[in-house]
Amino acid sequence: MKNITLYVLILVLALLVTTRAAFVIDQAEQGIIVQFGEPIGGVIADPGLHWRLPFIQEVRRFDKRLLDWDGDVSQIPTLGREFIIVDTTARWRISDPLQFLRSVRDESGARTRLDDILDSVVRDIVSGTELEEIVRSADWQVDVSELSEEEVTALENTDLERPTKGRGLLEQDMLRASSRQMAELGIELVDVRIKRINYIDSVREQVESRMIAERQSIAARFRSEGQGSSQEILGEMERELRRISSEAERRAQEIIGRADAEATRIYGEAYGQDPEFYSFFKTLESYAMLGPNTTLMIDANSDFFRYLESIARP
Amino acid sequence: MSDAKDLIEQLFNRPPRGRQRPPAGAPPGTPRFAAKPILIGFGLLLLAWAVLTSFYTVQPEERAVVKRFGEVTGIADPGLHFKVPFGIDAIQIVATERVLKEEFGFRSEDVSSGGRTRFAGEEFPDESLMLTGDLNIIQVEWVVQYRIGEPIKFLYGMREPTQTLRDLSESVMRRVVGNRIGSDVLTVGRVDIANTAREEIQAAMDKYDNGIRVITVELQDVVPPERVQPAFNEVNEARQELERMINEATRQENEAIPRAEGTAKRVISEAEGYATERVNRALGETARFNAVLTEYRDAPDVTRARLYLETLNQVLPAIGSIVVVQEDQLSPVPLLNLRQGQVLPQNTSTSQ
Repeated sequence: MKNITLYVLILVLALLVTTRAAFVIDQAEQGIIVQFGEPIGGVIADPGLHWRLPFIQEVRRFDKRLLDWDGDVSQIPTLGREFIIVDTTARWRISDPLQFLRSVRDESGARTRLDDILDSVVRDIVSGTELEEIVRSADWQVDVSELSEEEVTALENTDLERPTKGRGLLEQDMLRASSRQMAELGIELVDVRIKRINYIDSVREQVESRMIAERQSIAARFRSEGQGSSQEILGEMERELRRISSEAERRAQEIIGRADAEATRIYGEAYGQDPEFYSFFKTLESYAMLGPNTTLMIDANSDFFRYLESIARP
Repeated sequence: MSDAKDLIEQLFNRPPRGRQRPPAGAPPGTPRFAAKPILIGFGLLLLAWAVLTSFYTVQPEERAVVKRFGEVTGIADPGLHFKVPFGIDAIQIVATERVLKEEFGFRSEDVSSGGRTRFAGEEFPDESLMLTGDLNIIQVEWVVQYRIGEPIKFLYGMREPTQTLRDLSESVMRRVVGNRIGSDVLTVGRVDIANTAREEIQAAMDKYDNGIRVITVELQDVVPPERVQPAFNEVNEARQELERMINEATRQENEAIPRAEGTAKRVISEAEGYATERVNRALGETARFNAVLTEYRDAPDVTRARLYLETLNQVLPAIGSIVVVQEDQLSPVPLLNLRQGQVLPQNTSTSQ
């Protein structure tokens, strides 16, 4: 029976030693065995069950996966003195755990260093660059001829040049500049990207006011264009009206003239046969037109009166 | 299970009773009697726990990543599966077939059963406000739909794949929007932007090798910033007004021109009427004259006198007054004054 207790004791002890000696490295991890603060052996990169000396050695685990770094939102002036808010993000991994352990100990230490390095690199590059360069990319292309007229008006004060670098290359610059200091930290920086850029509030208000002014000028342009087009159409209408009526007038006069000429010819031919009789005949005809409001003044020596007298006298 | 419970009760209830005995002078056989059930019970308990934790189910839309001592050994398809218990095997279930989404600039509340998606009133200007290539501000809201294509990469490629997807989506969307001018983004560029963004986000995910498959990027509201919106509306109104003014003028034109054309035709027709009348009258009058002339030539004097007298006959009754004027007289002598007391104008001119 004492044996049994002993067996149990041994079993428990063995179990304890085993659990202290065996350790699991997860798929996501890599580990370093540390003995009295000193790394022993290489990096354990293979996941699975591993052994160490119990109680003396301990395991430091580091993430093997790609990690995120999210920068502080910082206000930075650009080369053109616009204050903008820049938020960057980066991907990194612990590429050399031994170096990592020696230089920054753990992730929070690493993040502090990353903050320092990346923030200053981003600040340097942004403040040495025009805003357009950060916003646009190398394949920037605006075909002014494809834009509507009002947009061209709105953009006339904007520089539409292709950036010399553009966002992608600036991000690469940031990566390159930061990476120089990464090797000594045991870190590999995979990429640095600008997540957000925005104007600071006071600048934003100015920009919004500018946008409003732009739109208002476009609206005004539309309105005056409307008035212009309307006037143009009305003018054309007036021209057309005058053309129509004057042409009609001309044709009418031509017709009338031809008729008058024709009539004149007819009269001329007829009356030319005996002009003296014609004037006599015509005079009589016009006398026949005299009406009740007429006062006929007759010379006493005229034929008319002579007959009148001669009729009255006898 | 109930067996196990009984066993536990036996284990924990009996030994104290058993232990009370030794002071009563019980022989050392008692521990032997107690140790055996303890071991057996312990073994049974372990077995029950092992059996209970050895099976797991994978739902149809899921896959399970199986790890032994932390090392990935494979992927389990949907169904019931066995694993080695005691933490030797571990599984991580990933919904690979489910379409997941990330929203930017807004958050839709969970879809209640059968109901439509309701949008939370909150706005997220930090996410949605961005700069366009002409350095204007624009508000873009969008959704990224994705699937976990490769569960092992999703779990072990990156620590925070979802957060990375969010960060990258924002970065890419800002790059794409920043590479176009604002009016383009607001109007014709939408489809292009969504496609480019999808490709670029996918390219980044492939680079990180995190197993995410981007299905679509859908642009939702793309609008100018709130304070600027009225000005944009004003432009639309002005555009309407432009069209209205042109239409109005065209309407006037369409009204006036046909009327003028009608009037023109009328003027011409009237002229033609006049012409016909004039010629006809001339023809008529000359025909009459010709006829009279023929007669007159036969007997000029008689006809002349006759015509003269006939005319007088016709004229005199209708005449208002006749004044006879003599050259040597000062005032005209009224011959017939049909209007009594009418004052005649002092006129010494002669008429013939």
